[in-house]
Amino acid sequence: MQLITLATKSMFNRKASVLLTLFTIAISVMLLLTIERVRQEAKSSFSNTVSGTDLIVGARSGDIQLLLSSVFRIGHANNSVSWDSYQDIKSQRGVSWAIPISLGDSHKGHAVLGTDSAYFEHFRYGKKQNLAFAAGRAFVNAQEVVLGSEVASKMHYQLGQQIVISHGMGNTSFHHHDDNPMTIVGILAPTGTPVDKTVHVPLAAIEAMHSQPKSASRMIGKPKQSAAHSHSDTDEHDQNHTDEHGHNDSHDHEHANEHKHNDGHDHDHADEHGHNHSHDHDHSDEHDHGHDKPDTVAVTVPAPAHLHGDLIGEPKQITAFLMGLDSPLYTLQTRRNINNYKAEPLLAIMPGVTLRELWRMLGLVEKILLLFSGVVVLISLLGMLTTLLATLNQRRRELAILRSVGARPRHIFTLMSSEAILITAAGCALGIALFYALIALAQGTLQSQFGISLSISLLSHYELMLIGVIMAAGTLMGILPATRAYFYSLSDGMSIKL
Amino acid sequence: MLEINDLIFRWPGQTDATLNIPKLEVAAGERVFLHGPSGSGKSTLLGLLSGVNKPESGSIRLLGKDLAQLSDAARDKFRADHIGTIFQNFNLLPYLSPIENVTLGCHFSRSRTERVKASGNTLTQQGEQLLQQLGLDPSIMARSVAQLSIGQQQRVAAARAFIGQPELIIADEPTSALDADNRNAFIELLFKEASQYGATILFVSHDSSLAAMFDKYLSLSDINEVVQCS
Ligand SMILES: Nc1ncnc2c1ncn2[C@@H]1O[C@H](COP(=O)(O)OP(=O)(O)OP(=O)(O)O)[C@@H](O)[C@H]1O
Ligand SMILES: [Mg+2]
Repeated sequence: MQLITLATKSMFNRKASVLLTLFTIAISVMLLLTIERVRQEAKSSFSNTVSGTDLIVGARSGDIQLLLSSVFRIGHANNSVSWDSYQDIKSQRGVSWAIPISLGDSHKGHAVLGTDSAYFEHFRYGKKQNLAFAAGRAFVNAQEVVLGSEVASKMHYQLGQQIVISHGMGNTSFHHHDDNPMTIVGILAPTGTPVDKTVHVPLAAIEAMHSQPKSASRMIGKPKQSAAHSHSDTDEHDQNHTDEHGHNDSHDHEHANEHKHNDGHDHDHADEHGHNHSHDHDHSDEHDHGHDKPDTVAVTVPAPAHLHGDLIGEPKQITAFLMGLDSPLYTLQTRRNINNYKAEPLLAIMPGVTLRELWRMLGLVEKILLLFSGVVVLISLLGMLTTLLATLNQRRRELAILRSVGARPRHIFTLMSSEAILITAAGCALGIALFYALIALAQGTLQSQFGISLSISLLSHYELMLIGVIMAAGTLMGILPATRAYFYSLSDGMSIKL
Repeated sequence: MLEINDLIFRWPGQTDATLNIPKLEVAAGERVFLHGPSGSGKSTLLGLLSGVNKPESGSIRLLGKDLAQLSDAARDKFRADHIGTIFQNFNLLPYLSPIENVTLGCHFSRSRTERVKASGNTLTQQGEQLLQQLGLDPSIMARSVAQLSIGQQQRVAAARAFIGQPELIIADEPTSALDADNRNAFIELLFKEASQYGATILFVSHDSSLAAMFDKYLSLSDINEVVQCS
């Protein structure tokens, strides 16, 4: 019989205390792994929220406040950068691109972000990845909306569906502009960032929600009826169309009268393409809007020219804007200039730096969590030590019998220390199983509540290292009772007391 | 077989020696009864003979080897190979089956395992055979050790001592928990088993009424020169 078999049988004989010890270790291991996994995922999803942006500019508040509102949609966002300042700074030398952001509204609990087409072109997340479309395309007029992946999947929204964007934050809004429906034209691929939870609308739509009387707001940014129109005549054409066509609520039927095709689809076609096909518009070759082609990048799918409308409107203020510079060398200088901007008090932050700063603040909590789970593991191992030492006295007879049949003191030592190793190993194995069970259970909640996407992936090197440390600590703990047993077996010999 | 000369042993931390035996001889195959009152050092002497403890001075020659000269590890190996032990009671590991208890010692001694193999049996077969010779029903072997009577447990312990034919059987009051009939029957069984291959038996007890059954009677108070002052 191997010593290990002997150790296992001996442990099985004391299964109550051994199992309790094992469970204590398993639970502490589970706790440690879960906390560490959540921490890691939180950190990576955190630092991946925005990248490739050199500066974020907003009203003068705090660095972190600006970051939270502009990137994480957390906290109060008020539109307090004047459009003029935005235009002015954007046109300065060295500025490669700028994305205006207007926040503060919501759609069924999802943040609504007003922006323009630069967003889909220049916004980067993760490792400088572009936003990709799972379906559809970017909006090209003020009546179109692009959803983050999570908004679409959670609300079961489809391309072509019409939704109503309300004014104000929160689920229940007092101002439901039921008569201002917008058409979903694009659904973004998942990014694991707040973008997934965002409803993207053109700036003009935000403006329409807030400032216009109902009758007028309804028609803001209506697509032009002819591709020949230029982009600049937004102002008149809104009113014009209202009069001419007597639009009803549904966007997708707006051309039905003119073209006499009752396809009922949201794909309207410019006049020059003879409408001899009546039911298959959504699949017509030239005008495929891309919603049946997943993973298509926004900019590569052109929307029919006649749909293009004004995206911006006449905003007076925006919440913030993201900026990319021609060279990162300009960053500090540009930042200084913006912070000393004459016309109004502005604040420019470098997102990377502020993200790190924010994480450092959260880092304290994170370190306390790690400390606690480490202490819990330590306590569980000390519990094992206590049990092993407590049972040792009762086991002196067992050891004496083994000695009498020829077991050497080193056998006794191995027997005792292998017990600690076996308990720790079984505890770790059970703990890992519990850990996977827990993240499988908590996955959904964490994703929906905190935006942390936990993957049921294999243990990382770091996590394996943690397990290794626990195993080493458990082995070390085993040395103490093993050493005592060793010396008992020397001094007791085979004289069986008790 | 066994020869002790000028043996002095003192437990660590004690000022007085527990044992001081100028001379003791036992021939091979002899059945020796060692008598002495409680606390006189009988168990201590057995500990020295089995090599668990080491004398302060003097020599213990067993099967031609001086145990006092051997290293700790060598004495452990010597015990595993050549000595079978039976205690007063609680001889068995409760988490092993009777058979596993019997064969336990073979896992620490290659020579005893080989002697079993030489007889053409596996360890388990040999264990079963021994248990049968000692009058234990095969149905008992499937039972847990804790379900056996004390008398049955002692027979399992005896089987464990005899497996692999060790030259010396040391029995430290193995019958004190048994009634008179069982006691005699058990000792008879020991003799029968020992005579099969000529094992030497060193039987320790404070019950001198058993002495009549043995070849040789030794009183520890006679051979030990330490004056008991308790
Ligand atoms: N492990 C030990 N450490 C220190 N002293 C011991 C130890 N074992 C026994 N002694 C002492 O040695 C002396 C002899 O003890 P031992 O157990 O050999 O007596 P014994 O003759 O076997 O008695 P009993 O018939 O009661 O079993 C006692 O005084 C005892 O206190
Ligand atoms: Mg004794």
